[in-house]
Amino acid sequence: MISFIVDFFSYSFTVNALIASLLISIAAGMVGAYIVARRLVFLSGGITHASFGGVGIAFYLGVNPILGAAVFAVLSAFGVELLTGRLKVREDSSIGILWSLGMAVGIFFVFLTPGYAPNLMSFMFGSILTISESDIWMIFGLTVVMAIFFIIFYRAILYLSFDPSFARTQGVPVELFSYILMGFMALTIVLSIRLVGIILLLSLLTIPPSIVNTFTKRFSSIILWSMLVAFTGCLGGLVVSYTLNVPSGATIILILIIMFIFAKVYRYISVFLKQSKA
Amino acid sequence: MAKILDVVSASAGYNGELILRDVNFEVSDNDFIGVIGPNGGGKTTFLKLILGEIKPSTGAVNYFPNGNRQTLFGYLPQVTTIDKSFPISVLDVVLSGLQGQKGLSGWHKSADITTAKKIMERAGIAHFANNPIGQLSGGQLQRTFLCRALISNPRLLILDEPNTFVDNKFEKELYALLQELNREMAIIMVSHDLGTITTHVKTIACINRHLHYHPSNRITSEQLASYDCPIQIIAHGPVPHTILHEHHD
Repeated sequence: MISFIVDFFSYSFTVNALIASLLISIAAGMVGAYIVARRLVFLSGGITHASFGGVGIAFYLGVNPILGAAVFAVLSAFGVELLTGRLKVREDSSIGILWSLGMAVGIFFVFLTPGYAPNLMSFMFGSILTISESDIWMIFGLTVVMAIFFIIFYRAILYLSFDPSFARTQGVPVELFSYILMGFMALTIVLSIRLVGIILLLSLLTIPPSIVNTFTKRFSSIILWSMLVAFTGCLGGLVVSYTLNVPSGATIILILIIMFIFAKVYRYISVFLKQSKA
Repeated sequence: MAKILDVVSASAGYNGELILRDVNFEVSDNDFIGVIGPNGGGKTTFLKLILGEIKPSTGAVNYFPNGNRQTLFGYLPQVTTIDKSFPISVLDVVLSGLQGQKGLSGWHKSADITTAKKIMERAGIAHFANNPIGQLSGGQLQRTFLCRALISNPRLLILDEPNTFVDNKFEKELYALLQELNREMAIIMVSHDLGTITTHVKTIACINRHLHYHPSNRITSEQLASYDCPIQIIAHGPVPHTILHEHHD
């Protein structure tokens, strides 16, 4: 056991992975609680997948794929707003269109890129090995800025999510805040791609708040406990994937799903016991 | 009595389409104004206009004494737009009515919670304070939103269809409470129900693209017709008339 722990921490990439997991779990707790409460999960899925278009173009141009993904994530977030608001396309249809458009653009440019794109798979499914120190600094910056925003404006965020038109009468700049939060959402998604990959990312945002929501209906508790649940999933996933030599992203998601099932079963049984006692 | 707000020759609508034309209107302290009119006639647009949610395309809306509107109103919107599974407690919903006074980054002090509890006591929902709103009945939810509207101690209480989805018992209590509150604040109440309006309000505004103000709470069908106020009345009380004239411009 001791030798396992020593082994595990003796590689710099596992230390990087742990620090990144912790920071991403903190960011994902805030963003996840927000998108689940406001029912923006499908929109988040669209943004996540559309960002692959940016990855493809970045490969083709030979620039940092995370930069390409960030540009596409933000563009697709505003694209949904434009299609739905100005062009009167129904929102779920807009999301569906941009979701597949981004994937199509990505595949198109990856195909055009001469030679083999070696870490393409890591973008689809995540790869802990590819997390560099500069990635960690970017995630750190985002997490700190977002945490400050959530602490200062917690009440305004809660009220505008619950009842935007009432919040507006209370002087909350609902549109501005929604855009800022959408920006945070897009950036959190992009910076989490390295950890779990585009295809698996939605679960990292939605499973922890869904688990916590089983036990509490308080928004602040959902944010804080989601961070802990997400980090537990990441930690478990990293250890299991290191031990069994399986992909880390998929392992993290599977562990979160197992926690979700346990939470639901536990809840079901405890409600059943309470009822049979009464 | 001091004027709270006035609307001067205002027109308003969405995407270039005018819903309300040339509206003149004013509210003073202790007014109790019933707002009636057909669906699609502009009642909601009118509320958004005076709440400052939309700007008039011509004319103006002025707030007194100093143009600051956020601390003026308590607002009870229609319940239909609420997501009942949203993770928020009854107490937090009530406290959200203070955000306009607290400012954007405001946190609550224990005094705010005491105020909230006092108002919730009066509305009979204090024992639900820490429950999620998903566990409330229609009447309890409406009480919660009424507390949210009242916690800021507003000069003007604006109610949009407060009697939809509530039981008779709550409706009676609500109107008794409104009479009491009217001694401290002005009230604007939108309702479909002319029977209720005429028994509880002091004056009536009829909205159908234009606004016609009736400075009493007695309206006959002849008066309504002469004011061009075609409204569809569902009278539960002793007000036996239905008027279905079309409005011709």
